[in-house]
Amino acid sequence: MDLWLEWARGPLFRIAIAFLILGLVRHVAIAVFEIAWAVRRAGDKNIPYRKLARATLAWLVPAGKLGHRPLYGLTTLAFHVSIVIVPLFLGGHIALWARATDLAWPAIPNLLADVLTVIATAAAVLLVIERIAARGPQMLSRFSDYAFPLLIAVVFGSGFLAMHPALSPVAFRPALLVHALGANLILIFIPFSKLSHVILMPLTHLISEVAWHFPPHAGSEVGLALGKENEPV
Amino acid sequence: MNQRLRIVKSILWALVGVWTVVSVGRFAHGLGPSTGLSNAAPWGLWIAFDVLGGVALAAGGFVLAAVVYIFGIERYRPLVRPAILTAFLGYVAVAVGLVYDLGLPWHIWHPMIYPQDHSVLFEVAMCVMLYLTVLALEFAPVVLEHPLFSHPFFRGVHTLLKKSTIWLVIAGIILSTLHQSSLGSLFLIVPYRLDPLWYTPIIYILFFISAVGLGLATLIMESLASGWLFGHRMRKDLLSRLGLAASVVLGLYVLVRLADLARHGLLARAFDGSWQANLFLFEMGIGFVLPCILLAVPRLRTSLPGLATGSFLVIFGVVLNRFTVSILAFAKPPGVTYFPTWPELAVSLGVVSGATLIFIFFVEHLKVYSEDDHAHPGEPGYIKPWRPSFDPATLHGLTPEWLAGPRRYSLVAIAGASLAVGLLPRGMLTKPEPLRTPVARARTVEAMQVDHGRGKRVEFRLVGSDAGAPAGVKTVPVMLIDGDRNGRIVFFPHDEIAEKLGGDTACAECHHLNLPFDRNTACAACHCDMYEEADIFNHATHIDHLNGNAGCGRCHDDPSRVKSRATATACVQCHADMIAVEPFLDKSQKETMTGLAPGYMNAMHDLCVACHELKVKENPNEYPASFAQCDFCHGESENIDLQRLGPYVALDKDGANGAATPGRNGID
Repeated sequence: MDLWLEWARGPLFRIAIAFLILGLVRHVAIAVFEIAWAVRRAGDKNIPYRKLARATLAWLVPAGKLGHRPLYGLTTLAFHVSIVIVPLFLGGHIALWARATDLAWPAIPNLLADVLTVIATAAAVLLVIERIAARGPQMLSRFSDYAFPLLIAVVFGSGFLAMHPALSPVAFRPALLVHALGANLILIFIPFSKLSHVILMPLTHLISEVAWHFPPHAGSEVGLALGKENEPV
Repeated sequence: MNQRLRIVKSILWALVGVWTVVSVGRFAHGLGPSTGLSNAAPWGLWIAFDVLGGVALAAGGFVLAAVVYIFGIERYRPLVRPAILTAFLGYVAVAVGLVYDLGLPWHIWHPMIYPQDHSVLFEVAMCVMLYLTVLALEFAPVVLEHPLFSHPFFRGVHTLLKKSTIWLVIAGIILSTLHQSSLGSLFLIVPYRLDPLWYTPIIYILFFISAVGLGLATLIMESLASGWLFGHRMRKDLLSRLGLAASVVLGLYVLVRLADLARHGLLARAFDGSWQANLFLFEMGIGFVLPCILLAVPRLRTSLPGLATGSFLVIFGVVLNRFTVSILAFAKPPGVTYFPTWPELAVSLGVVSGATLIFIFFVEHLKVYSEDDHAHPGEPGYIKPWRPSFDPATLHGLTPEWLAGPRRYSLVAIAGASLAVGLLPRGMLTKPEPLRTPVARARTVEAMQVDHGRGKRVEFRLVGSDAGAPAGVKTVPVMLIDGDRNGRIVFFPHDEIAEKLGGDTACAECHHLNLPFDRNTACAACHCDMYEEADIFNHATHIDHLNGNAGCGRCHDDPSRVKSRATATACVQCHADMIAVEPFLDKSQKETMTGLAPGYMNAMHDLCVACHELKVKENPNEYPASFAQCDFCHGESENIDLQRLGPYVALDKDGANGAATPGRNGID
């Protein structure tokens, strides 16, 4: 068990984090080249960058954008906030980074981390339920859309159990092993799957906007037809 | 572009990805963690394969240049460009491989301005540098044909280079002859380290002949490989003629080598059954004689499988020969072994992969092969070109076609790189691991004590078992403190000092911690590394003994803090019985003890020096300043021949000190 744990925290984690970082850099580099290529080919070059930036920022807090589905909007917001903050700012994680690289940064209090972990786990499960319940998203969903939230729930749940061995029905080391293996799996999957939106999200609006410019003014004409004049498509 | 080429390039890019990461580790943390090399075995894979093998493999360039430009055999001209390119990239690979092997790679240019003109290596260095330049100039016209260089200036350079081809070729042949043979001359300096089956005063001639043979074989192999890869017509007639030439050269090599062995009366040695003899027979049989025969038989020589087998065996044989000369048959001191680590292998493979990718790049963008080399549909060797189609995994078809390559190859390269990051040996990735210096327990022997009076060092003379102490001289038991067994010993009259400190009640002054079921645990039990901190805490045992999950809170009592050694409660909270009540240690040390034992040397100094200084301060009349100075304990000790000492059998009074346990052997 200890050997497996060492392997999951050592070599496997190094592979995962290297693949994550290099993979995301690769995504950005390719996206930049592709967008530049697309802009060169676009029929009209009037791309509303400022409007796009504003729309992208607005989508960072999807609760507002998803006004017609308030529960979903809130769940996804809580989910995203928790899963970004806890892995990066948990004291235990920072201690591991410090041990390996001598780099350290301020941590959030453990109590806050506990609360956010519970929120993340619950929100992940809730997201899956809401996806099943709503007809529209259900039809659009693929296997990975269910698998990733559940995998994240497992990682956060096992992390919580590892943090609180006294409350845990599972022994400390198995809980930690599940946590580490699951987390590595997510890290490796990020550049391969739709999870790559962690870095590509700021570019997605730009990409679709540029695509609407291949025939000149196609995007604005569609907007006009839909009665959404002057909004990015 | 065809599917075959795409797969090959993907594999090469993955190897380049691994190579990149390994290179960072190699140059960040030096040769130690990345290689299996040592001071006693300084030449390894990089020298044998990348340098010695690489130079020989690149010999095709000068051989073919001589054939076409000097001997004027024009029919080989179509092979000249790929041969020069292969040679150029081969020498670039040699230079790159050498940079990895050099301890101070940024000094690689030093031979140019700090020449050691008696050194063979100096000649090799200069020749390789010059020949690399010559090859670059020989190949430059091919690059300058590209439309990118249509400026009149480049046209002028192109014309100039074309005109000077013959001189470049002559220079190339001279330089090649010089250093191909000199790489063998290097080994003239080690007549006693190189096995006699390989060492010979004419080793440089053997190196040169085998390089020519290998160069011809590489030309065949390279033509076959690029034909397979790019879909070329195979010029079987040309290749089989080259095969015949290789066969003649190999035959000459075998003759010269056997004649030389016979002249030195060493032929019988090749059959004496030793592993060197068997290696010799294997090398000669598989690597030289067999391909010589294969390539001599017309029917085999004119078939592609026959040519491929023959030239592969030559390559295998000559590279094995270079390995044997520089590693296998090169005597190492007893106990020293060398086996390449995987990062060494990754560098060698990566250098070759990188060179191959550059070769492919040049072939794709320049006129390395002429148009009529390409096989047409229906001809043997023709490969259907690969047509892009929509591929949901890479989004290929939606995106510009020129990005399809970067998309695919960057993915495999980062996959290789990530794998390397995970698997790199520890010292290559982070700061190098400190060297461990295990500590051995102190031993006790009988010694004569010579007291020179107040403040002087008390000297001890060991009593040899053969001589014994002179009559009337008192001997005392004395501990030898030499944790790393390096022969420099501090004599420590344990019993006498214990007596001075208060007898049996004073043990805990120094023995500040007892391991479970132990009393007065010896220093080396916990301070088990000479210089480095040692971890004496067993987390797993504590989990088991404290009922698993329920017990975590016993040590990690504050849930708001990170669970780590630093935030856990001190050992003394639970183990008061294991830790002395009033040790001579700093009180704060006892309170913060969390299972890290300082290095043996520091532990000894902290305890002994602190006590000596205290004595000097408290009682300067009895203890002058010299009592607290280094040489009071670390004096010049006589050269002690511990082997002469018999076992120590004197009984300790309390029997408690492990170092003086009855019957304990005085010699470890």
